[in-house]
Amino acid sequence: MKIKYFAWIKEITNNEEEDINSIKINNLDNLKDFIITKYPDLKKHLDKEILRFAVNQEYVVKNIDLNPNDEIAVFPPVSGG
Amino acid sequence: MIKIQKEDFNSEEEIKKIKNLYLNAGAVTSFTGYVREKNNNNKVQSIYLEVYEQMAYKQFKKIISEAYLKWSLLDCLIIHRYGKLNVNSKIVLVASFSKQRKDSFESCNFIMDYLKKDAPFWKNEFYDNRNEWLVNSN
Repeated sequence: MKIKYFAWIKEITNNEEEDINSIKINNLDNLKDFIITKYPDLKKHLDKEILRFAVNQEYVVKNIDLNPNDEIAVFPPVSGG
Repeated sequence: MIKIQKEDFNSEEEIKKIKNLYLNAGAVTSFTGYVREKNNNNKVQSIYLEVYEQMAYKQFKKIISEAYLKWSLLDCLIIHRYGKLNVNSKIVLVASFSKQRKDSFESCNFIMDYLKKDAPFWKNEFYDNRNEWLVNSN
């Protein structure tokens, strides 16, 4: 699956996107664990519920199953308009 | 119609192109958002607007569909820019076309409210010596 990072999140990950191929990451909660392990500086933002998640371009709040072809986006609160 | 683009646009022409398709449209309400010179007591030099383009299209389509369910609309237009924008540049144009004014007024406001809250764009504001990512407060 592909993970995309936006705005100041990608300044923490130093990475705009990455592909993950792990059978252990099969739902959103697993993915959250993966990113805070890989990028510990994201943990405080996750704990404060600042991070937003989208799966296949739709907002996701609850834990859902993930598939190998999914595109997951991680980003901060928006500021368009 | 939805457009997500770097380039500037001519609001009047964009609205006219759609208006000409609907001779029965008695009301057009539009909102244009611009880059302000001052924000939170800082003098702004420019902003950089980042977008998750695929999601923005999807979200805009969804909000227009919701607006169609709530009001009697003939058409809707959203143009949102991204990239580097200087002070006084246009950021966004939303226009609602309907027979009666109430539908166009209310739906235009509804679309803008949604856009500020959920559309996946992020402003990085540049001042003299620093920059800051913003969060929408309303």
